[in-house]
Parts: sequence; structure tokens; C-alpha cells
Amino acid sequence: MAEITYRQALHDVLREELLRDENVFLLGEEIGVFEGSYKITAGLLSEFGPKRVVDTPIVENGFIGMATGAAMLGLRPIVEIMTINFIVLAMDQIVNHAAKIYAMFGGQCPVPLVIRTPGGGGQQLAATHSQNLEVWFAHVPGLKVVAPSTPADAKGLLRTSVRDNNPVIFLENLALYNTKGEEPAGDYMVPIGQAKVTKEGADLTVISYSRMAVMALDVARRMEQENKLSIEVVDLRSLRPLDHETIINSIKKTNRAIVFEEDWRSFGIGAEIAALVQEEAFDDLDAPVKRVASLEVPLPYSKPLELATLTGAKQLEDAINELAPRRRRR
Amino acid sequence: MSEITMPRLSDTMQEGTIARWLKKPGDEIKKGDVLAEIETDKATMDLEAYEEGTLQQILAQEGETVPIGQAVALIGTGAVAQSGEVGSAPVQPSTAVTGADEAETAPAKAEASTRSDGRTVSEGGERRAIKASPLARRMAEEHGIDLGQVQGTGPGGRVVRDDIEDFLEQRGGVPAAPAAPTPAPIAAAPPQPAPAAAAPPEAEVVKLSRVQMLIARRLAESKQTIPHFYVSSEVDMTDALAMRQTFNASAGEDGVKVTVNDLIVKACALALEKFPEVNSTLKDDQLIQYKHINVGFAVDVPSGLVVPVIRDTNIKGVRAIAREAKGLISRARANKLPPADLEGGTFSVSNLGMMDTSSFIAVINPPQVAILAVASTRKQFVPVDGQPVLRELMSMTLSADHRVIYGATVARFLQEVKGLLQNPYSLLG
Repeated sequence: MAEITYRQALHDVLREELLRDENVFLLGEEIGVFEGSYKITAGLLSEFGPKRVVDTPIVENGFIGMATGAAMLGLRPIVEIMTINFIVLAMDQIVNHAAKIYAMFGGQCPVPLVIRTPGGGGQQLAATHSQNLEVWFAHVPGLKVVAPSTPADAKGLLRTSVRDNNPVIFLENLALYNTKGEEPAGDYMVPIGQAKVTKEGADLTVISYSRMAVMALDVARRMEQENKLSIEVVDLRSLRPLDHETIINSIKKTNRAIVFEEDWRSFGIGAEIAALVQEEAFDDLDAPVKRVASLEVPLPYSKPLELATLTGAKQLEDAINELAPRRRRR
Repeated sequence: MSEITMPRLSDTMQEGTIARWLKKPGDEIKKGDVLAEIETDKATMDLEAYEEGTLQQILAQEGETVPIGQAVALIGTGAVAQSGEVGSAPVQPSTAVTGADEAETAPAKAEASTRSDGRTVSEGGERRAIKASPLARRMAEEHGIDLGQVQGTGPGGRVVRDDIEDFLEQRGGVPAAPAAPTPAPIAAAPPQPAPAAAAPPEAEVVKLSRVQMLIARRLAESKQTIPHFYVSSEVDMTDALAMRQTFNASAGEDGVKVTVNDLIVKACALALEKFPEVNSTLKDDQLIQYKHINVGFAVDVPSGLVVPVIRDTNIKGVRAIAREAKGLISRARANKLPPADLEGGTFSVSNLGMMDTSSFIAVINPPQVAILAVASTRKQFVPVDGQPVLRELMSMTLSADHRVIYGATVARFLQEVKGLLQNPYSLLG
């Protein structure tokens, strides 16, 4: 199978969806003439013209409101927010309007809106440009939140998101854009709300998503070779709706779990999953669910401090060694 | 008074079975005395005393399996402390226990009573005071285990799944292990009822020995996980048999006689020098080619089958191989093979030639990747220059792991073995 970058995967799906459905259009800051801050929309303005690829002013609240209105009237806008940090300016439009209109107006008009935006730290972009705010959206009913970790899932989930009739927050990650992976053939779709066991294992489960899911898989494979620990890795892929079944089935198998997340620990994705697990698999738990997350400080600019603050492979390895059962399962 | 515990007698040993007690309570023990024979997953070995005194009590009865480190007997000074008959298993009159459970109940009971002595709460209250993971609690309930009897090794002494499984193994029950990924064939039996109850009335239930259980597990694993394929060839053994006769005649009355098997083992070892991929193992997507060539050969023993190993077979002479093989076979038959003789094999030979077999195929002995099955040598007419000539033909079949070895390699390897056996003097180099 051919390899493709995460960036190219996103670009290709945007182009294919623009070709497939004339109601689909893109809007965002610098996505047209400048071809996107991260070049996801390269070449699309010249191919589809300024009606389908719309450069907007620096006014997130305004253009997400505009996109919401367009979606209500039957178009299928795909918004690019340059990084998730700027989405804060549009919270009212997303949380109070896009997420609620369908329910509040008796289901008269769905809002088929996709908001693509990269999150994550590690690029020395400092505290206001390196955040992981996905949990804010995962909290809100009326939104869907997806966070693919591989080019294949990026393709499959972006297609599904564009064709979904609800507002979808499509979370990307700066550090994933250049990663490569297998390119799925044809009109590959990944259902929203379906996690994936990316590696089977018996000793414990690491649950993760986005960039940390890639890291978790690497760590699990390496530790399996070095220590003979058999680690199962679950890539959530969707944060809302959350795939309870895959998570619980894995816990029933391994009885121990770590949630590995780049966001802050308190009130995070790990907190939600730990609660879910104790509700639905209490009698299968052999140890408390562990959370491995980043330190709860505004992210420093200094490289050594940034590295010390963000969670990573080392932290996950320590947690695995701490949680691993005394008797190995295989 | 001190405890004699189950020693660790091999690298892979996790538990041992008391095959036989050679001392009984009341006996004076000197350092170095053999107290008992212990059956491990590999062999039967002696349990020696490291201190002097009187054997006070036997805690693990014959036939009982206990994990490493658990006390099997008590040794002390003076007369036997206990009144009442020593040596017989303390029987619990009120509970109907199966054979495996019987002996274990005694120490467990004793532990439980000391615990409850130290606490004033009722049994119901005690349950709440014990720290255990939800899973451990559920497992304890399912297996009817009193959590108070289980030693917790989790954080803060919490009883976790591992502890319940340890306890179940000690008790002789089968750990139900809901998470066990590989369904071990032996684990299929339900843990609670006595095994005899499940058997139809006209059948006899034979309990497998440790070695037999190991064989069952490993062979099933081999056949299920390794894609076997087979290549056969016929070898003209006429010259090899003639050479062997001359060779043995010169050895004299007391000399070690070289067997056909010794010649085959040597031929394989020499062929393996040229085919390192056959002398290898597959590990985590890597092929590990061994520098040493250690050929094992299957020996039929009363308890099943063992494969003792002749180390560095390729650099040993035929007579040295014959002498070593003879020793290994007699130790194997006496069930006295130390684990070292069973470890480190890189290739195996299974020879049923002495039992009138025309051909057969063998199951690979993991982590090895090939095994040679050798059948009987038979007189057959072979066309030589258009005329029938009587020759001694032997059929052999190599089973190989197709994940790492391919047909042509095996065919060339067999060709090499065949060439060596048909020019038998090349084996003497």
C-alpha cells in the first residue's frame, strides 16, 4: 500500500469533497492565496476559485457564525481555524449556536459544519499557541469531536465528518502533519464514535488519541520487545461520542488501564475515561486507572522547560512499569 | 525450627511436585541428605538438606505441586513437636476435598486461624477490612476463596489478580484467568469438581505428570503457531552400515558402540554448518542464527518424551557423540536428566528406525525451526546400471518452519545430510 503524509491525506480529502459535492466550501484565515498556514489547502484556490475557497478576515467569531448560517441554509462549510488556540474567540458561535440550533429549533435545520483545527505543543510556540483544548468541545452535547492519529484515519474521519449533518470539531496536531502512514484505497470512511485497538495486548491497556496515540503505539511495541510486556493500545479516534464498548472490552481483557493524553490532567479526557471505566467495568479493575498527562502550567517557551512540561514517552514508560502486573499474562 | 522450601531448580521452573519423600518426620537429618525427589517441568531432582536437625513435619505431601519458595517441610532440633501421628496428611473431616486440595488445606487453615486470632471482627467485618481490587474480590467470590487467606502484594498490601492466581495455583485449582490469552489445553478442566466425577464410568482418568503437561502444551503450541512443511528423501545407508560395523568391531568388548542415530546426528550437525538458517530461531521478526550447533535427539521415556542435547555436535567426533548419547539416554530413562542436558538445543532428530517404520513426520520442537524424522532402514532392490541391486534404504523427513525456511533450502539441506551419510567416511573428519 502506498504511503502518504497526514498533511496530504487531509488535502486530498478536501479536494475530493470539493469535487464530489458543490455545496462543500472552505473558509478560514490564509487558506487561499497563502495556501494555509500548514499548507493543507495548497492549490485549492486556483483549482476551485474564490467562491469555494474563501479567505476570511482575522475574525473567528464572525466567520464561524457565517459558516453556521451557511450550513443552516444547506451548504456544507469546512472551516480551518489556524490553531485551536484561536478557537477561543469563537466559543459563543460554536457552543451557543452551532451546537444547539438543531435541538432548539425542533430539528428544523441541521448544521453540517466541520471545523478543522490543529492543537498540541512541542513546537516552542509558548503558552498561548500550544494548547490542547479538545476537552472543552467534547463536553458539549450537540457537537461531535474527532481526533485521528494516522493519515488513514485522517482521511476516513474527514470524509465522514464532511458528510455528517452535525457540527464536527476535527482535531489535528501540528506534530502529526509530516507523519506518514498507509494510504487507504478508495472512498475510505471511518465511522465517528468508533475507537480502534491499534495493538493487541494482555498485561494492560493504554488508551490515547491523536499524537499521543502514535507515541503510545511506539512505546508499547518497544516495551514488548524489550521487557516482554504485552500492552494493548486503544486509539480513541473520536472523543465525542466516545466508544464505550471498545474501551470496556479492553479493560475486561487486561484489567488495568492508563490514559495517555497531551492535555492537562484535571477534568481531562483521562478523568472522563477513568470515571467511565469504574462505572461500567468496576468488577474487572485490578488497579486504579492511571492518568498520564502534561503538567498543569501555562506552557513555557524555553525548549528544556517545554520538554519538561509536556508529557511523553518517558512518562508513559514509567507509568507502564508502575502499573504492570507482577505476573505477565503471556 | 526452620522451613525447607521448594527450591528453584531450573531457569524456567515456577513450581515443583514432590515425587517422593525419602525421609519421614522424626528422622535425623544431616547436611547434604536427600530429603525428597522433586519433579519439575524438565526433570526429577533431589532436594538436599542444607542444615542439620530432625525432620519435624512434612507440609507438602507426595504428588503435591507447590510454587518456588513455599515451605514443604519443617526441620528443627529435638523430638517431633507434634502429638498424634506424623507423616499422614492432616485430613479435614468436615470438608470433602479432592486429592490435590487435601494437603494444602492444613497450612492454609493454620494461617487463617492466626489471622482471626489477631482480629476481633467477625468474618463479615474482616472482609471489609481487607484491601482487594474489585477484580480480585470478584475472582475470590467465584472460586470460593476467603480473601483473608490471600497474601496481598499490590500497593499497600492490596490483594490483586496475581495474588488470587497464585493462591489458586497453590491450592491446586486451575486459575480461571479470564484474561489468559492462550487457552492452555490443560486449563480446560473446571476448577472445582473432582476430576473423576467428569469421567464416564468405564474410563480411567490418568493425571498427567508435569513433563506430560509441558509436552502437551508445547506440542500443541508448536503445531498451532508454526506453519510446518515437510520434505522427504531416501538415503542409501549401505556404506554407512558397513562402516559402522568395522568401526564397532575395532572398538573391542568394552568400547562404546556407535549407533546409526549417532551417525545421523553427526551428519545433521555437519550439514547445519553449511545451513545456518536451519540452525536458528525466529524471535520478534528477527532470525537469530546460532553460532553453536547443539543437536538434540528424542528419547522415549516412561513419562513421555525428552530431547537431551549434545552440545557443539559438529566439532565432536562420532565416538564422543556415541559416548555422550549413551549417557544421556540412560539418565533420561532413569528420569535423572539435569535441566542443563535438556536446554540449548538448536536442532532435533527423532528416530523411530528401530521400530519398523516406513516413514513419519515430526513436530518441530520450539524455539527450533526444524526437526528430522528418521524411519527404518530396509533392504530394497535398486536399479544399478539397469540391474537390480540390493541396497539398505532409509527414509527421512524434515519438518521445517515455513516462516523462516523455504522448500529449496530444506531440499539442499537434506541433500547435504544424504551426501554425508552416503559417503560415511566424511563423518569421521
